[in-house]
Amino acid sequence: MSTQEKIEKLLKKTEVILAAGGEKRVAKQHESGKMTARERIAELLDEGSFVELDRFVRHRCNNFGQEKKELPGEGVTTGYGTVDGRLVYVFAQDFTVEGGSLGEMHANKIVKVCRLAAKMGAPCVGLNDSGGARIQEATDALGGYGKIFFENTRSSGVIPQISAIMGPSAGGAVYSPALTDFIYMVKNTSKMFITGPAVVKSVTGEDVTQEQLGGAMTHNSKSGVAHFAAEDDHDCLQQIRYLLSFLPSNNMEGAPIVETGDDPNRVCPELNTLLPDNSNAAYDMYDVIKAIVDNGEYYESQKYFATNIITCFARMDGQTVGIIANQPKVMAGCLDINASDKSSRFIRFCDAFGIPLLNLVDVPGFLPGCHQEYGGIIRHGAKMLYAYSEATVPKITLVTRKAYGGSYLAMCAAELGADQVIAWPTAEIAVMGPAGAANIIFKNDPDQKKKTDEYIENFATPYYAAQRGMVDMVIEPKNSRPVIINALQMLASKHEVLPAKRHGNIPL
Amino acid sequence: MAKLYTITVNGTAYNVEVAEAGCTAAAPKAAAPKAAPAPAAAPKAAAPAPAGATTVAAPMPGKVKSVNVKNGDTVKSGDVLMILEAMKMDNEIMAPADGTITDVRVAAGQTVGTGDVMIVM
Repeated sequence: MSTQEKIEKLLKKTEVILAAGGEKRVAKQHESGKMTARERIAELLDEGSFVELDRFVRHRCNNFGQEKKELPGEGVTTGYGTVDGRLVYVFAQDFTVEGGSLGEMHANKIVKVCRLAAKMGAPCVGLNDSGGARIQEATDALGGYGKIFFENTRSSGVIPQISAIMGPSAGGAVYSPALTDFIYMVKNTSKMFITGPAVVKSVTGEDVTQEQLGGAMTHNSKSGVAHFAAEDDHDCLQQIRYLLSFLPSNNMEGAPIVETGDDPNRVCPELNTLLPDNSNAAYDMYDVIKAIVDNGEYYESQKYFATNIITCFARMDGQTVGIIANQPKVMAGCLDINASDKSSRFIRFCDAFGIPLLNLVDVPGFLPGCHQEYGGIIRHGAKMLYAYSEATVPKITLVTRKAYGGSYLAMCAAELGADQVIAWPTAEIAVMGPAGAANIIFKNDPDQKKKTDEYIENFATPYYAAQRGMVDMVIEPKNSRPVIINALQMLASKHEVLPAKRHGNIPL
Repeated sequence: MAKLYTITVNGTAYNVEVAEAGCTAAAPKAAAPKAAPAPAAAPKAAAPAPAGATTVAAPMPGKVKSVNVKNGDTVKSGDVLMILEAMKMDNEIMAPADGTITDVRVAAGQTVGTGDVMIVM
């Protein structure tokens, strides 16, 4: 074979692989509103930056006539490129090739990019679109999943791992995304479940559609499995780029500092009038967030789940912060099982990647009731206490209003290691709701009504806590932004090391 | 997930099946044993909502402070239907969608539990 012929052979082989599952299947992928694996990668990464690896990997299955099958690229495209100029590793399952099914060598390609990402300290993005295990490969396929789970877990907290569900993801395939940091789901085209509607019907008798059981909004609003919902593939990939802009590339680097053009000394006069005079009336915590962060811009994780607490990324003076905020407008902003789980996971992500925590507190308590107690609110609520206590990143707590009892501690009070506790004059920092407390203290007192009013006047304030040094400063609401930014600058050199241990034992 | 409960009302046991919205309950199991006709005064809030209707359920246990709508009122998504006093807060309960109120099942002063249907529209 001449050199020219050898070059032509390469080009021909490449052409076959680039054609993926062939015109017909590609057309079908497009008809169902989905992009192909290569189109998705091109959209995710900076233009022309993608470098493909393992293009010629081939399966080695000799069962059931598979040996005669050519599966271009093994049904998954892998490699690296850049997002906003920063290195990112990526794999995209190709539904047009054998339904994106996962076999041994398909899994090996994924494992390789995951390992490279961890070694190089760069985020790893997985674009999932797969019918599941390639059954013909038997335990080779099963082992493939196992290797991916292992890799995901070992890389957890080392590099950000992001999964997008852009088609089906059923059975074992759901657990790699579940082990990563964030899950995106595309509306209408993505589905995630352990067992599909047919099995559910045969086992429990329930009639449920794929969308109801495991669609994007089911997992974004009901189960809390997913963190972000996207309108379509394009929106999903752009959102991932946006998320990456807030994150450091690994656990040793800081998040990128962005020139946002917003004055760090900007005062927010609207905050002085935001809170209603009646402390039992709700207001919208998003108004506080929008006012204090750079350009009012924030990106919310789990926006539709446990909406009584808000978890979002934003920037203050160009620096990424993770915000955890009670939302008085939803269920009075109380903490329940789902809110505890949602915020604990977010806190731990931020701590793992050195992102400072800003806690906006207006919390009346933990939600009472059998449902909560039987569901284990004690061990779920404990996750927040654990996550905050364990976190060594800068922790700033701003109390806007209610901060009662254990729920206040769970929102990162000074005792849980908050580096700076700031209170508005409207703050009510107390051991429990003041009316309830007064009822106990003045139980049989004939003057109960008058004394209760006095108690509320004296104890439902930030000053009792401030007298004990549990609050560092009481400020006018309008000055919140400059004060927080100043605290962040002061805390930039914070260095705290936990006692040597194998790892802690977070209540799960 | 549909679950079978036995509920006792005024000393009479009823078998009821409860399913979360989105899942349809399986075919009804055997009829309630020795079920006497339901007493007229059975708690209204516990009654099932008609199929296809939008229901507004209590997000947490609390006391109804005021109800702003009555049967036949037309409401828009986001309108405040009632105030539920819970967790030391006057919680505005808002319409989840545009529609017409067909059944107000609670009155001011009434106590409700998590999931109780308060308004049907």
